[in-house]
Order: sequence, then C-alpha cells, then structure tokens
Amino acid sequence: MSLNVNICRLASGVPGLDNLLGGGVPEFSVNLIAGTPGSGKTTLAHQIMFSLASPAYRALVFTVVGEPALKMLRYQQRFEYFDLEKVSRSIRFVNLSVDVLKGDLQRVLSRITEEVQDYSPSLILLDSLRSVMKIGDHRGQWVSKQQQFVQGLSMLSTSWQATTFLIGEYELSEANASPIFAVVDGIIWLSQSLQRNSMVRKMQVVKMRGQAQATGLHTFRISQRGIHVFPRAIVKQGLTSDVGKQSGASAERVSLGVPDLDDMLGGGLPIGYSLLVVGPSGSGKTILATEFLAEGARRGEPGVIAAFEKSPSQIAGNEKLFAMIKAGHVGVIDTRSLDMSIDETLFDLIEMIKRMQAKRVVIDSLSGFELALAPEFSEDFRGSLYRIVAELTGMGVTILMTSEMEDRYTDLRFSPFGSALLVDAIVMHRYVEMEGQLHRAVSVVKVRGSAHSKDIRLFDITNDGIVIGPTLSRYTGILTGTPASIGRDTNFNALRHHES
Amino acid sequence: MKTIGMQRHQTIESLTSQHVVQGTQAQIILWEQMSVQIILIVGEDGFHSLFARSVFLIHSKFPWITSDTWTAPFDHRFAVLKTNLQTQTATVAVEANCALLVTLTDILASLIGEPLTASILGSAWGHPAQISADKDKKDES
Repeated sequence: MSLNVNICRLASGVPGLDNLLGGGVPEFSVNLIAGTPGSGKTTLAHQIMFSLASPAYRALVFTVVGEPALKMLRYQQRFEYFDLEKVSRSIRFVNLSVDVLKGDLQRVLSRITEEVQDYSPSLILLDSLRSVMKIGDHRGQWVSKQQQFVQGLSMLSTSWQATTFLIGEYELSEANASPIFAVVDGIIWLSQSLQRNSMVRKMQVVKMRGQAQATGLHTFRISQRGIHVFPRAIVKQGLTSDVGKQSGASAERVSLGVPDLDDMLGGGLPIGYSLLVVGPSGSGKTILATEFLAEGARRGEPGVIAAFEKSPSQIAGNEKLFAMIKAGHVGVIDTRSLDMSIDETLFDLIEMIKRMQAKRVVIDSLSGFELALAPEFSEDFRGSLYRIVAELTGMGVTILMTSEMEDRYTDLRFSPFGSALLVDAIVMHRYVEMEGQLHRAVSVVKVRGSAHSKDIRLFDITNDGIVIGPTLSRYTGILTGTPASIGRDTNFNALRHHES
Repeated sequence: MKTIGMQRHQTIESLTSQHVVQGTQAQIILWEQMSVQIILIVGEDGFHSLFARSVFLIHSKFPWITSDTWTAPFDHRFAVLKTNLQTQTATVAVEANCALLVTLTDILASLIGEPLTASILGSAWGHPAQISADKDKKDES
C-alpha cells in the first residue's frame, strides 16, 4: 500500500471543467478564479458551490461590497444551478464590507476566522479578493501584508479542511507581480476575446498543484444552465487520420448507398475514413450525403448530420432525410450561430454520436461550418478541421463532408480550405457541357491506401436516387467543362437513352 | 409568487399588530431581527440603501417619519425611527411601521425574488408557519 497522501478530487459540477483540472478540484486546495470583469468568475464559483453544497458540505460565501451582493443574488437566480433550498440550508453569506472599510487586513482575516469557526464550512468563497487587496494604505510593507493575508487565509481554510475559491479581477499582466499568485494552489484564468463582433470565452488552468491539468486555452459558454467548458481537442498520439488506414484496401467497408459509386471507390469506403465530396452548387452533394445516411439506416447504422447550411424548413424539404430524422435513424445538429468554437461543435457531435451510437457522420457543408465558427477559429479552419476529423475517425465513425467548389475549369482544386490533404478519400462532382446540355460528372480522386476507379462518369439524380452513368471514355478535356469528342461515344448515347 | 408576497404582507401585519401593546420597542426589535439577516447577506451598505429608499417612499403618507431616520449613522437609525414612532399614537405607529417593513421587503423581493426574501424573513422572525401558529395560540388564550 502506498503511504503517499491521497488527494481527493471534488467533482466541480461544471461540464468539461474536471477534464481541464486533471480530474476535479483538489480537496482543501486554495484556488484563485481570476479574469477581467464580465468574464464569468462569479458564475463559475457559484456553479461549483451550488453543485457541491449540501447540509453535510456547507459553503461560506464572503462578499465584500454591499449592493452588488443584492445584484449577485438577483442575477444568479436566473441560472438553473441556483438552488434556493441550498441558500437557506447549506450556504451562508457573510458581508465583509464594514471590516474591509476599516482598512485593516488583519481585522478582515480575524472576522473570516470567526465566521469559519462558527459555521465550519467545507467550502469557502471570497468575492472579491481584489476588493480586499485594495484596502488600506499602500505604504511600506503592503505587498508582504497582502501575502500574509492570503497565506493566513490559506492556512485557515486548509486547517479547517475547507476547499477555497478566491475570486479576483486581474489582468494577465499582473500575474507575475502579485504575491497572491505564488501562494494559491490553483489558478483558473477566464478571458473573453472579441473579433469581428464575435465574442469567444476562454478558460486556462494556469496552475493546479498536485495534478496534471490540461494546458492551453479552452473555450466555454455561459447559458441558462451555467458554464459549459469545451476542452480543446488535442490529437492524441496514434490518433491521426492515417492510423490503421495503411491496410485500408483490405479493411471492412461501408456502402455509400450508390452501388456503382461503391465500385468506383474500390468496394465502398473503408470504415473510419473521411470522405470529402466536392462540387459546385446543385451538383448533388447533399443528395449523396443523404444516400450515405439512408444506406446506414437500412443496415441499422445510425447517423448524425451537422447541417450548417440548412434551416429546419430546408431540412424538412429533403423528404428522405427528414423521414430518417423523424424515425430516429439520424440525429441532426442544426446550428447557424456565428460564434461557435471548434471544440463546442466537436462536443455537440461527439455527444450525439454517443447518444445515437452513430456509425456515420455527415458534415454539410464545410463552407457552412466555417461560417458558423467565430472568426478566430475560421482563420485556422484547416487546423480545426484536422482536429475534428482525427477525433471522429478515432471513434471509428465514417465521415462524409461536403464542400462547395465553384467549377473554374482552369485549375483542379478540391477544397477552398486546403482540406484535401486531411481527408482519406475525395469524390469530385463537375458540370460538363455536352451537346447543348449541362450534365453532371463524377470521379474518385483518391482513396487512401486503396485502389479505385480513375474513370470520369456521368451521373444523374432521379426519383430513385443517384444513377451513375457510363464512363466518358470517348471524350477529352472533360474537366475543362467543354469536352471534345474523340469518336462516337455509345456510352453517352446510352445514358441519354436512360435519361429519356 | 403573488400569493407568497401576500403571505409576507400578512405576516408583517400580524407581527406588528401583535406588538401594539408592547409599544415601540417591540416594533424596533422586528427591525433589528430582520436587519441582522439582511446585513449578513448584503452588508450594511446594502441594507442602508434599502432602508433609505423605503423611508423615502412612505414619507408622503407618514411625513412625521423624518429624513433623519435614513441620514442617521447606521447604529442610530433604529433609535431615530423609534423616536419618530413614539410621537404618534400606538395605532398610527404600528400602521406606519408595518408600511415601512412591507415597503422594504417588497423592494428586497423585487431584487432577489420572493422565495429568498421569505427565507431571510424566516431566519429573522421564525418560519411563517411558526409565526402563524404562535398567533393562533395567542388568539386562543
């Protein structure tokens, strides 16, 4: 048996936060929740407090100024975590304004000590530490007095076996200068960044003694339910899109629901692959995505579609897709918010994949997805996409993503985001002009680790779905949009016969 | 919530009327009990703001409650209120005190909600059910 101390970790009750902290809040630790005004410090502290507080685990909240406490109670009540029963039975509020106004830190600490001895709390909140630190004169030993105060508070809460959260308005630049930062066990930093009218909230666990916190900045959202943290997806070692795909040709495959296209892919799409369907507007990308999901539904493989471009009424207009959603075969993430983070999107996707036990995922489309993201994420859309693809394919789901590409005929591009490299397979749609008509052509550009057809074939969209036509073997310059015949093409005539 | 608000009004009316005989000191005790609980949560400044606003609001109906009541130092405000109440008959003093308590708790409830206000008053004066039970006992005797 190990003789080392076992530090108990408390579940914070804030979705996603425990992952950041390295498993939860270390019991009896003293933590600083710091950030700029409006960054969500009080909300975070209160959400943790309401989650943990019970008659056997009481919380003592020290507020420093009078009227804001009224406002704090007023506004905190709009959050779902606010529990009136706990306010009266398990949480005590103590206002320190009189003691603070006297300007003596030692007196404030004595008052805190009296209250702690009287109530024996398991959880202590001080809102705000900054207000306490501002009091008194600024002469001589003031910095060391501040340090003594925090050290005294730290010793008090630890010896009384209480976990403590100090809330303070601080700028990141102050972190090095303030003695408080050295004394506390944990520092959770909250910030908000504004870019092109989109605001993104971020959290950083700067320090968490005794455990390995998740480093870096992580996005979070404040809603009626309180704070929800979306830990930044980090591509784990061995969880890249190449893993296990070297033998893709022999791996188990899924059907796209279009048999001839499956043949072109070399027998379907290997499970866990990401497929990019690229083509101009109206070329049938969403229809192919719908066939992919419908084939899954037929085989008892639920699917999820992230419909970034489609409004609910547009989704209802796609009868086949709508029927699958209604039947519960397909889950839909319908968002057109313009300030999402990549991790929030990924969280929503993963939650729905787990709930539906989905095997197939459609992202329709990458252009809509990019638009839904806050500007700072869309600026690194390629990197963000890489993390999403790696995370989802790591879960074993097969992904189909659509990307709208204008037919330019002068160059061959597969995505405006340079995402072709990130995916395992690419199917390209194109319009071609033949004998005074606009026709659709399809070809398989790549299937990683697998042989596939090199043909460019016509296809049509009928009431029965996508019908793949013949190979345009007697034409040249098809990708220019205006192919030239190099002989009589019986295949093309056969397709025309089929269409009529 | 209106029902709870009416219950609160009834509780205050009941408590103030119980103390007609005991005089103004008993009226002031209600304030002291309540202020301790409110100050615990919102601090002296918070309570004082609520008190000053309440005095201002009822001043037109009870002009003899002077502005000294809310301009007095924190630890003297109830002494000034007591002096004001003592200038009136017991019935008028109880009516004014009841109006002042109702006004302050109305403001508090509008800010932090009726349930939390009821909880604070419960801590100050005992549970409303207990208050009613005490009153019933008194009525029976």
